[in-house]
Amino acid sequence: MDLRELVAAMFLFALIVMPLESLQAQSVRPPANAVNQGIDKQIDEQIGTSNTLGTNSQSDYWRDLRHGKDGLATSGQSGRKLIQAQGEQWRIVRKTYIVKYGGWVLATAIFLIVLFYLIRGKIRLKAGRSGETISRFSLPHRTAHWFMASIFILLSISGLILLLGRTVLMPVIGKNAHSIVASAAMQGHNLFGPLFIVALIWLTFMFIRGNFFQMADLKWILKGGGLLGPHASAGHYNFGEKGWFWLVVIAGSIMAITGMILEFPWLAESLQLLQISVIVHAIGAIALISAALGHIYIGTLGMEGALDSMTTGDVDVVWAKEHHDLWYEEVTGQKVANPEAEGSQSIPDHNQISAQSQTTET
Amino acid sequence: MARMKFLCDAERCIECNSCVTACKNEHEIPWGINRRRVVTLSDGKPGERSISVACMHCSDAPCMAVCPVDCFYQTANGVVLHDKDLCIGCGYCFFACPFGAPQYPQAGNFGSRGKMDKCTFCAGGPEDDHSAEEFKKYGRNRIAEGKLPICAEMCSTKALLAGDGNIVSNIYRERVVGRGFGSGAWGWGRAYIGEGRT
Amino acid sequence: MLRKKIGEVAKGPRLSSALKEMTKGTVDRRTFLKKSGLAVGGIGAAATLTGGRVQKAHAAGSDAKVELKKSVCTNCSVGCTVMAEVQNGVWIGQEPGFDSPFNLGAHCAKGAAAREAAHGDRRLKYPTKLVDGKWKRISWDEAINEVGDIMLDIKKTSGPDSVYWLGSAKHSNEQAYLFRKFYAFWGSNNGDHQARICHSTTVAGVANTWGYGAMTNSYNDIHNSKAMILIGSNPTEAHPVAMQHLMKAKENNNAPLIVCDPRFTRTAAKATEYVRMRPGTDVALIWGILWHILENGWEDKEYIRQRVWGMNYIAEEVARWNPEECERVTGVPGSQLKRVARTLANNRPGTLIWCMGGTQHTNGNNNTRAYCILQLALGNIGKSGGGANIFRGHDNVQGATDFCVLSHSLPGYYGLKKGSWQHWARVWDVSYDYLLGKFASEKLMQSKGIPVSRWIDGVLEDKKNMDQPDNLRAMVFWGHAPNSQTRGGEMKTAMEKLDLLVVIDPYPTVSAVMHDRKDGVYLLPATTQYETYGSVTASNRSLQWREKVIEPVFESLPDHTIMYKFATKLGFADEMFKNIAINNDEPMVEDITREFNKGMWTIGYTGQSPERLKLHMANQHTFDKTTLQAKGGPADGEYYGLPWPCWGTADIKHPGTPNLYDPSKPVAEGGLCFRNRFGLKSPEKWGSENLLADGSYPVDSEIKDGYPEFTMGMLKKLGWDSDLTADERSFIEGLSGDKTNWKVDLTGGIQRVAIKHGCAPFGNAKARTVVWNFPDPIPTHREPLYTPRRDLLDKYATYADKQAYRLPTMYASIQKNDYSKDYPIILTSGRLVEYEGGGDESRSNPWLAELQQDMFVEINTADANNIGIRDGEMVWVETPEKSKIRVKAMLTERVGKGVAFLPFHFGGHFQGKDLRSKYPEGADPYVLGEAANTVMTYGYDSVTQMQESKVSLCKITRA
Repeated sequence: MDLRELVAAMFLFALIVMPLESLQAQSVRPPANAVNQGIDKQIDEQIGTSNTLGTNSQSDYWRDLRHGKDGLATSGQSGRKLIQAQGEQWRIVRKTYIVKYGGWVLATAIFLIVLFYLIRGKIRLKAGRSGETISRFSLPHRTAHWFMASIFILLSISGLILLLGRTVLMPVIGKNAHSIVASAAMQGHNLFGPLFIVALIWLTFMFIRGNFFQMADLKWILKGGGLLGPHASAGHYNFGEKGWFWLVVIAGSIMAITGMILEFPWLAESLQLLQISVIVHAIGAIALISAALGHIYIGTLGMEGALDSMTTGDVDVVWAKEHHDLWYEEVTGQKVANPEAEGSQSIPDHNQISAQSQTTET
Repeated sequence: MARMKFLCDAERCIECNSCVTACKNEHEIPWGINRRRVVTLSDGKPGERSISVACMHCSDAPCMAVCPVDCFYQTANGVVLHDKDLCIGCGYCFFACPFGAPQYPQAGNFGSRGKMDKCTFCAGGPEDDHSAEEFKKYGRNRIAEGKLPICAEMCSTKALLAGDGNIVSNIYRERVVGRGFGSGAWGWGRAYIGEGRT
Repeated sequence: MLRKKIGEVAKGPRLSSALKEMTKGTVDRRTFLKKSGLAVGGIGAAATLTGGRVQKAHAAGSDAKVELKKSVCTNCSVGCTVMAEVQNGVWIGQEPGFDSPFNLGAHCAKGAAAREAAHGDRRLKYPTKLVDGKWKRISWDEAINEVGDIMLDIKKTSGPDSVYWLGSAKHSNEQAYLFRKFYAFWGSNNGDHQARICHSTTVAGVANTWGYGAMTNSYNDIHNSKAMILIGSNPTEAHPVAMQHLMKAKENNNAPLIVCDPRFTRTAAKATEYVRMRPGTDVALIWGILWHILENGWEDKEYIRQRVWGMNYIAEEVARWNPEECERVTGVPGSQLKRVARTLANNRPGTLIWCMGGTQHTNGNNNTRAYCILQLALGNIGKSGGGANIFRGHDNVQGATDFCVLSHSLPGYYGLKKGSWQHWARVWDVSYDYLLGKFASEKLMQSKGIPVSRWIDGVLEDKKNMDQPDNLRAMVFWGHAPNSQTRGGEMKTAMEKLDLLVVIDPYPTVSAVMHDRKDGVYLLPATTQYETYGSVTASNRSLQWREKVIEPVFESLPDHTIMYKFATKLGFADEMFKNIAINNDEPMVEDITREFNKGMWTIGYTGQSPERLKLHMANQHTFDKTTLQAKGGPADGEYYGLPWPCWGTADIKHPGTPNLYDPSKPVAEGGLCFRNRFGLKSPEKWGSENLLADGSYPVDSEIKDGYPEFTMGMLKKLGWDSDLTADERSFIEGLSGDKTNWKVDLTGGIQRVAIKHGCAPFGNAKARTVVWNFPDPIPTHREPLYTPRRDLLDKYATYADKQAYRLPTMYASIQKNDYSKDYPIILTSGRLVEYEGGGDESRSNPWLAELQQDMFVEINTADANNIGIRDGEMVWVETPEKSKIRVKAMLTERVGKGVAFLPFHFGGHFQGKDLRSKYPEGADPYVLGEAANTVMTYGYDSVTQMQESKVSLCKITRA
């Protein structure tokens, strides 16, 4: 309810306060005619307040214009600029870099995952399921995760339709159907966008504990996360998960900010900011979606037993031992037998363990 | 086939805004939407010039390139038109357009801009010529009536020219030649300051 | 200048709801069709019968034929043809009128938005009266009866002079003429219209220099100019389509375009030379230019010898205006004026254009005469490409002036003398005694009425000091915006003191809201000119015939119908409409034209019969775009619109006079010489010199020298009386025998015979540079009443207070106070391109209103920084008479240091208060704002009572 009220309030505020100049373009650069005024003055001095042979054409004058000199406009949404020069750059960045390379980045991500799957296959539990479980994520944790996950997926799909639909989808389903899909995608994207911010805050709050980097993460990195052979020890979260968490938090925040600017264009003081926002939003989206693909893969198809932690919240003890041995040790106080382990530096005392296990369970 | 173009003669444009109101009148454009606007540069100072600007119907139109639903199309005359049925109001064409041509009926909250509207070179849209549907969505189709855009036809000083690019540029060339020194000669204002003036 | 909004929507709850309505798209053509509730059947059915090629299956989805109607734009005086597309009686579109020689298809923002008149969303929709502070709808009959009863009561108790009939430059010629006739039949000279506050000083100054007070050449003739100098004129905003013609001269002839103005206007931006002067120093500026001309002997000596009298007196005055003195007064460097003078001397013929910037001053008549003298010195008058091209303001202000909807003359500038009344009594087919009986006295009948600029004083002045029996008690605003008049603060008081306030207008206007009256206000909806038909005179004296585009919308009625209704109620309809057919209360327009054709001999409004005018409109394409002369076609050889004087009756087919005083053509083909209007000799004080032309005469003239104006006696002396027909002779002999002159001969015989012999009926004289009957015979610089230059007062003080136009008028008693300490900034005013006049019509047009949403004041950046104002902030502008307005500040270099500028089209706010809620429901303009004239101050021209709205003093503070 709070959320709806918040959104409604924002909406009302926007309606009341927002002038139509939402899309107004104003230069943030110093006046481009700074030099030219000097020339005008020079001419004035020589031939009076204006020249006697007709308003002469000064190439500099028009060159400035080409680069977005400000004028005084009659009216309308397009502001004072005669030529909004960065539009062309925006077009190139979007069409060439974002749509084209962004598409390839995503395709590559999928390709790599498939390749990995083919090579490595599903990471099985070496010891097989024990049937004995320990609690990994409480219900609130899982709720926060799935809340974010659903919104993320909705936004991803709708966003991708807007980004790549014309290239990928339209040739298949035709312009009309694609327009309907894209329109729905845009509306949906705009509607769920603000919820992403809620989900992001919630998620951050719920998961930030345990996601700070530790020395163990360095070792984990040095061992390549265990993917390349030797086992890498990890706590509640391994370095990959922590990285993913922080990617979500940081990139997600950027998405949230740029998204808000795009959703409420009057927040942006210039068209340029909007243009930059679209670009940044798209880059962030590609990064997040690519990473999310990996996250989804490893959480489902890629690793036996991983999904349990986000469904029931309880993971098999074997899974815990094999993938989060340090966490397992912390929670249970039992040392995991690991031939390759260099031995744990310290054995936590019982009080600490019980305290931690309590927090994870509550 | 003619290549339709707009040209605004800055030596003549006096910022009277007839192009703006003629357009509004002809196409029943609501308040807040300006398919054409006039920009004045160096306002109130020597060197002040005004230029009327609308969709310039670019050959390689940025709007067409960036539209996520590919709603734009270019006629054989080079006029860039769009299909409001396809338009989703995303605003990308506005980001890309150098001339600020795309206009939206709504303010843009929650991305709700509504269907984009812009200058059609008085050539209507994809609907049947002269149909009520076409008028409602795009305004009048003067090109199909064998006429040119109303803004140029009504320009108070004939500053705004519209039509076949060759003819338009010929008219402009004649004017520039007629004006001779001091008006329109590239670089002269810079190179020969102070010479030959009374 | 232009405070342009960047996508900001005007604020205010009612407006925003209106906007919502608009963005919903409710005002498209189809919904309008539904809304207007017109009978579609009849016209539609008739249209389908015509079959033929349907040029446009129009977007409205109907197959009914689209008719093209030709009307003329109702904004400025250029006379742009409006081509209206009408389908099923609905005005569905506008096409460019490419055939029109005046605009060649072009329009400005206002003309291009003309069709909104047919939507009429914000029009006054039915007769309304104020009852206990609330607007109440009434019927036309109720309105006419109630208003008429009050007026008749006032007439009985206070005399006819206590009702003021304020007419309009928006009337067609027929309506203007009828209106002038109307208040003559009512029995008062208290009637006037906008020309008083527009170009009255021009008409007085120019007519007293060379005969007629109108623009001498035409917009099109500027194509031939080799130089153009504009003083106090800003055509890019006030006459945008005229710029097309100026640009042509500038580009094709390489003609220098010199703009003299306190503001760097949009026109100045297109100029080759911009002269920034201090407001109100026109005479000094002109004498400064003339100083160089005379000093260097650049004047046209032969021209002056033949055609100009009194230049020696001028030279004496000009000698005082050496570059140093001129710079001291005007602020313009002598070197620049030398360049201007040389440019004008080297590029002849050159045209001089002026507008309100020159006329609206306490010494406006001096300004206009000085301009004329400059042109005479250069020998530019009476030449194609030269001339004094005075751009008039409203679409028909020239016509309404010619029909003398003024307080000091009868139609055709006949004056108010007994003979003048007798002339018009003959034309009107009533006896002089009948007319006399309508007036309070013969003395009042022959004395100038109160001018519109002073009606406030007519209400507020102690009646002991007035030259009429009682104060004004009723005001009729028949097409006049009160916010175009100065002293808004006092006007509010005056409005509240009246017994009766009647507004007859398509819009409620500011008159409906600026006062705090609770009753006694009537708003009667008049049509626009698109809903009726008739002739209109453009600035160049050409008459154009408008077709009716649509039927009157809502309950509005054409002005002439309303006049008939009132005449009936007031009891003089039978006499007034004796020779005019009435059809369902609507007087027949063509009959009115024919009636004025019968009497307007002085200025040649006699040859323009409705048939000839309609022929011209139908054959616009046959007229040359520069000379305005038809080449072939049914109007072969005639000039477009038969620019007056179009001598004689329509039968003699005079082609009209394209350029006044141009002797290079025979009079019969539009040539002329200067008019003999001021006697044959100058008074003794001024040398008793011969005023007739010396060796200059129109081509083919049989008298090869100057001659006086024609009378029957003169015809006899020349032996030309034998050319008169028997009918003509018998009328002339019956009138006053040999004394019968060309102005009162209703047969036109004297004119016909004079022209037959190549002579101008009005004589052939010299222009006079010294107008001995004016307060300043030689144009003299006088400081404005509110001047910041106290140091100049010992030399250039204003006039002594005097009695004028029935009222005491102040000059010295204001100027003697020093306000310049408290009010340091000079305040001036002017136009914006989107709006016109008081702006009620244009601010009610959403297509225009969107472009200018805020009233503003232009302040020089340096002044603003000194005061501490930022761009876009709200400020108070206060003047010495203690009125103040709250407006947006616009910082710009457009105005010089120490000068501020206000556009005068706004209204509906009063001294910081928004009056939107006081408008009748649904008739409030989209855009309201403070009226500039609320703060504009006292000051009236010494001859015509023109208001001073170009120079005052103000202080600006943050609001």
